[in-house]
Amino acid sequence: MPVYITSTGCFLPGPPINCEQVENILGAVNGQASFLRVQIQKANRIETRHYAIDENQQTTHSNVEMATNAAEQCLDRAFVARENIGMLAVASTQGDHPAPGMASMVQAELELPSIEIISTHGICSSSTMALKAAWNSLRLDEHESALVVSSELASRLLKKQRYEAATESTFAEKKIDFNTEFLRWMLSDGAGALLLQNKPSPKGLSFRIDWMKGYSHAHAFPTCMSVGSSGRIGETKTWQDYDSYAEAEREGALLLRQDVRLLDNIVRMGVDGYLRLVEEGINKPSEVDHFLCHYSSHHFKNKILEMLEAAGVAIPQERWWTNLYTRGNTGAASMFIMIDEFVRSSDVEVKEGDRILCFVPESGRFNTTYFHLTAVSA
Amino acid sequence: MSDSEITINNGPKGGDSENKEMVSLNPHAQVCLQQLLRVWLGFERDLSTVPLIRRIDLGTYTVEDHLCFLRNLRQQVIEGSRWIARTASSFDSEHSEIRSTIIQHAMDEHKDYELIEKDYIATGGSIEDIQDMSRNIGSEALHGFLMYRSSRPNPIDLLGAMWIIEGLGEKMATSWAERIQELTGLKDDSTRFMRYHGHNDGDHMQQFYDMLEEVCLTQESVELIVKTAKVVARLYRLQLEEIEYEIR
Repeated sequence: MPVYITSTGCFLPGPPINCEQVENILGAVNGQASFLRVQIQKANRIETRHYAIDENQQTTHSNVEMATNAAEQCLDRAFVARENIGMLAVASTQGDHPAPGMASMVQAELELPSIEIISTHGICSSSTMALKAAWNSLRLDEHESALVVSSELASRLLKKQRYEAATESTFAEKKIDFNTEFLRWMLSDGAGALLLQNKPSPKGLSFRIDWMKGYSHAHAFPTCMSVGSSGRIGETKTWQDYDSYAEAEREGALLLRQDVRLLDNIVRMGVDGYLRLVEEGINKPSEVDHFLCHYSSHHFKNKILEMLEAAGVAIPQERWWTNLYTRGNTGAASMFIMIDEFVRSSDVEVKEGDRILCFVPESGRFNTTYFHLTAVSA
Repeated sequence: MSDSEITINNGPKGGDSENKEMVSLNPHAQVCLQQLLRVWLGFERDLSTVPLIRRIDLGTYTVEDHLCFLRNLRQQVIEGSRWIARTASSFDSEHSEIRSTIIQHAMDEHKDYELIEKDYIATGGSIEDIQDMSRNIGSEALHGFLMYRSSRPNPIDLLGAMWIIEGLGEKMATSWAERIQELTGLKDDSTRFMRYHGHNDGDHMQQFYDMLEEVCLTQESVELIVKTAKVVARLYRLQLEEIEYEIR
């Protein structure tokens, strides 16, 4: 049973925020401007992003609200009655509530009655997990349509109060704690939504999902991006093992961290999965018209890309498309926000028959996910 | 990777991107390179599971670990120049280009073990200890395999071995040396061998492409080269795993 993306939507909270304004929103920790902000922003090249908190670090939109707004836009653009939606799959790194699952909350907001739900948990690749669950349900003929939503509210983890409260953490001890501060200048907020149906939309282009694959390498590598532990060498305790949440916070166990030293492994494993799919005859780089990658190409400006060129399997730069620089890195939401803009952007021509390769790597513990779409019309 | 450099900038080994020429490989050489990349990436990932290397990742690597590492590396490096020289001598006159390249390579590296000995002494070890160290089980297997393959006529499959071992030299220089110093407080004079390989491997990538283009002309040659790369990757990892048995 072929499955198609027949509608998309997205929601980005508040106005676009430029690099200089970011610290006004997230707040200067203990009143001191960051030593690292400019350096990290320069490296990631993100020009504008959005936050669901204001300049007083008060939440303007909950994660569920953002997810709901993206879903509403997606449904408003769809040629399907809401009551025909059989399934809702929702992905986020962290919902507003640790429990219940975020899909329950989004379903309630959308007032979709008696549907099947799934909440996927992870980081960036939780979006592809949700998409794959929905895709498989339709392939099995369980439902005629499914709504897939991914949403992130990272800024609540990144606001100054989090760091100020971590008084006994590595962040408080070190003059510069790169691993703890790195993501502060990388991540931002937003939501994206896709509608899947077992037939193409009667009007305009739909996108058939041809295949979806994922390879996780957690068995081999230490954790690279996480919340829940103090980040100290040898510490095995996680946040709920402390006597109080206050103690966990003081120790820095609630701060978002990236082990930057391990980060290049995600690019390597991304290339490995890509080549594996070439070897298996699933991925045919020469036939890919558009490459949507959750990482921007400048992260690959390296020997590996040169070697892929030498090996005859690189995708030329002009076929890469991203909106990361203007919409920010919104984690799990990024790929859906990217697809939504890609299908309606005037700066790229998408024609019937075009083949689109999407790649969502997750540095958390090295999961790499890929899926392939073909543009079709009814 | 230093903290100031966020972009990801190293593969197994590399040429100079400023002066790079367009590499044009025949279709068999292209497929071979695709598969060699996968063998390398899998090898590199699996190295992260080797206890000694994991301690570099986790930040628990000690001076004692470093001494042990160097003691175990020395034999492999001594034997390394032997199989490279043997490989060169096994090529006939129809492969004179590749023979020249490999002879030069053997020349460049045949006394590298002296650097390891100096590093060992600077790390606090004694020359007798490192010189008395015999090959560990993995080194025996690796050396035995490489001498066997390199003794065969025109052993083009050894390109697969060079791919892995050169890649590792680059990885030691770019990923391990600085990190080891940071974790142990050791100075540059304890990681000269590791760092030297990064500097020395500058234009080896182009040379590698040239050799691949010259000898990888059939599907059979692809399979030979890739298989040897896989065996060497597995035996090299065994060699590093065996270091742990010495520690115990």
